[in-house]
Amino acid sequence: MNMFLHELKAYRKSTIVWTLSLVALVILFLSMFPSFSKDAEEFKKLLEGFPVEVRKAIGLSIDSIATLLGFYSYAFLYLKLAGAIQAMNLGTSILSKESREKTADFLLTKPVTRKQVVTAKVMAALVSLILTNIVFIMLSFVMASIVAGDEFSKKVFFLLSITLFFIQLMFLALGIIISVIFPKIKSVISVSLGTVFGFFMLGMISSTTDDKALRYLTPFYYFDSAYIVKNTGYENSFLVTGIILIIAAVAASYYLYAKKDVHSV
Amino acid sequence: MNVIEIKNLTKMYGKARGIENVSFNVEEGEIFGFIGPNGAGKSTTIRTLLSLIYPTSGSAAIFGKDIITAAPEIKKDIGYLPSEVFYYDNMKVIDLLKYSASFYKKDCTKRIRELAEIMELDLTKKIDDLSLGNKKKVGIVQGLLHEPKLIILDEPTSGLDPLMQQKFFDLLEKENKKGATILFSSHILSEVQRLCDRVAIIKDGRIVTVEKISTLKENTYKKFKVETKSEIGMEHFNVEGVNQLEKDGSTISFLFRGNINSIMKKIAEIEIANIWVEEPDLEEIFMHYYERED
Amino acid sequence: MNIFKREMKANRKSLMIWSIGVIFMVASGMGKYSSLEGSGQSMNALMADMPKSMQAIMGTGSLDLSSPIGYFGVLFLYLAVMAAIDAAMLGANIISKEERDKTVEFLLVKPISRTSMINSKLLAALVNILIFNLVTFASSVAMVGKYAEGDDVTGEVTTLMIGMFILQLIFLVIGTAIAAFYKNAKKATSLATGILLFLFILSIAIDLNEKLDGLKYFTPFKYYDAKYILNEGGFDSLYLGLSALLILTLSIVTYVFYRKRDMNI
Repeated sequence: MNMFLHELKAYRKSTIVWTLSLVALVILFLSMFPSFSKDAEEFKKLLEGFPVEVRKAIGLSIDSIATLLGFYSYAFLYLKLAGAIQAMNLGTSILSKESREKTADFLLTKPVTRKQVVTAKVMAALVSLILTNIVFIMLSFVMASIVAGDEFSKKVFFLLSITLFFIQLMFLALGIIISVIFPKIKSVISVSLGTVFGFFMLGMISSTTDDKALRYLTPFYYFDSAYIVKNTGYENSFLVTGIILIIAAVAASYYLYAKKDVHSV
Repeated sequence: MNVIEIKNLTKMYGKARGIENVSFNVEEGEIFGFIGPNGAGKSTTIRTLLSLIYPTSGSAAIFGKDIITAAPEIKKDIGYLPSEVFYYDNMKVIDLLKYSASFYKKDCTKRIRELAEIMELDLTKKIDDLSLGNKKKVGIVQGLLHEPKLIILDEPTSGLDPLMQQKFFDLLEKENKKGATILFSSHILSEVQRLCDRVAIIKDGRIVTVEKISTLKENTYKKFKVETKSEIGMEHFNVEGVNQLEKDGSTISFLFRGNINSIMKKIAEIEIANIWVEEPDLEEIFMHYYERED
Repeated sequence: MNIFKREMKANRKSLMIWSIGVIFMVASGMGKYSSLEGSGQSMNALMADMPKSMQAIMGTGSLDLSSPIGYFGVLFLYLAVMAAIDAAMLGANIISKEERDKTVEFLLVKPISRTSMINSKLLAALVNILIFNLVTFASSVAMVGKYAEGDDVTGEVTTLMIGMFILQLIFLVIGTAIAAFYKNAKKATSLATGILLFLFILSIAIDLNEKLDGLKYFTPFKYYDAKYILNEGGFDSLYLGLSALLILTLSIVTYVFYRKRDMNI
């Protein structure tokens, strides 16, 4: 418990900053919705006359483009990006910081197992993300209710919003396993930005080629907004894959962290 | 009872040598010195004992328990002070000590105050702002605050001024009298000589000898210096048991081990002006072990 | 010279990864063009009628999507973001890492002035972003040329790449200035990327809402807009002046503050 609280405290400031940034981002985007929906209404009629490839290339479903949920889906791309960076940073740094800041000797000569160390740290990261998401989802709802012209499905809005958390979990797990495999990470931000943007680009490509196999490689597109809006649910195959990936990465991290040699400085 | 039992401990870094077949025991209540130059394998041994790194082969037990499987349990009663201390930034000294204490399920507040007072440590400062020596003091308090039964010190005195060193040694002796066993690794032999009961000497990853310091000094070696009236060749003393034979003008010096009568006869054969017979200090014994095989 | 060489070597791996990333990006991005090619003309007509906020969401603006170079203009935004991230991180890193890795003592007790140390480091960073730019240039000319079927696009790509280079310079010195100015060396890179992401989001917000148009001078991402460059065949002299001013000021900040800096070890 002491380790858990210590970690939570250590990440307090960054959690607050990230939460505020995400909230600011969603407020910024949603505040533009009223003027956008006015523009879009006029344009919507025009768009219907065009071939399907065009619409697909643009990446937005024609039916939802001018609705709050459609607009939110678009903005969500950037929210996902920011959220993924937060989670990846957290995951990459939380286990590796002991060796980077040379405090591993301190912690690992205490009467705790390595397993307990990993558990405390993973739990602290998880709680940070959960707190971020609670605040984020609540304020998104408030903002959405303010700007929405007419009714929108609260359930779909929630299902969309909570995918931020799922994607963060995937990147958290990815960050943790990377930090265990490459313990000598000097600059967390370089590693996490590189990885997140790598996946982001990969996602942009797979979203247009419609290659299902490629989609499995990009956590950003595990939860397709258009599908969620249409079916009020997630694609099971991706949900299961996501869960398996997270469990596998965390389990492997436990195993590797318990085995590894901690070298002196 | 043996507090530490090491059996054929080997650690390889890939193909590079860490330590090979290291075996020795540390008995309860003693101050055990672990000496060797840089890179001989002192830290590797200690880090293996603390299960910071894992052995390639062999095993070791502390308090009769296996160092790997019982690691967390063992560590409840171990205090460790590394040669270089690094702690979390942005923490006050007292916060770090409290965090450290929170790992041992007992109240250490009083003990922290006590130790901080002895070591003259300001608890309210930020760790970032401390000098190297003061960080070291944090390390000392941190390592002793839970009254460990076994204290492991890895070259602990660097960065401490002589006054603080003295206080630190007094502290260790006090802990030792209270029953704590101490494993003290160092390359500063005067420290070891002063503090320790027994020593293990490590060289190139292997233990060369484990001996009582008193035995090492008294029974094993004598340091002879003979000033002759007329200059004679030092081959005269080149007999069994003589080491580090040196000649400077009419003065010949050497270390001797063996039957003292035989060397006295050798000396009686020549005309001498003066003679000194001394116990060698640890440094010389150490050099002896290190030069012997080269 | 020794510092320069050391820095070149230290950044070699990251430069390689970024180069591969950008080649991949150009290749796959232009690959998408082929799927659009057929619907080109109707697409253009559609885009022309689109409200500005809609264009922003599509990421197209008034570019001629039926021509490879017009399409490349859309891609340019992403390339520029990549290049900017690389430059900002490089700039912040190259200055702050000595303190972060506690090597600053080693370096500063050598018989060199801090000014000459920054000279070498900036030069190394400059060569790095130049190589990044040239790799982007070469892969773009090759890929756009492939689809342009004989049309010479080198000139337009060159102009775009010059714009990108100035953008890289701006973000490089933003990075170095932050690293020289900001006290906590460990956070300098995070702060630099944070500012970059903020500026990027700002540029998107400006596209989405015309009321924010006045803010465009604050975000360098608006300085080198592919639309403007391709339509006018050159740069806006106001933005060029602003860029020069920014680069100069931030370079001076870097030198002045680094020379006065108290190293924290």
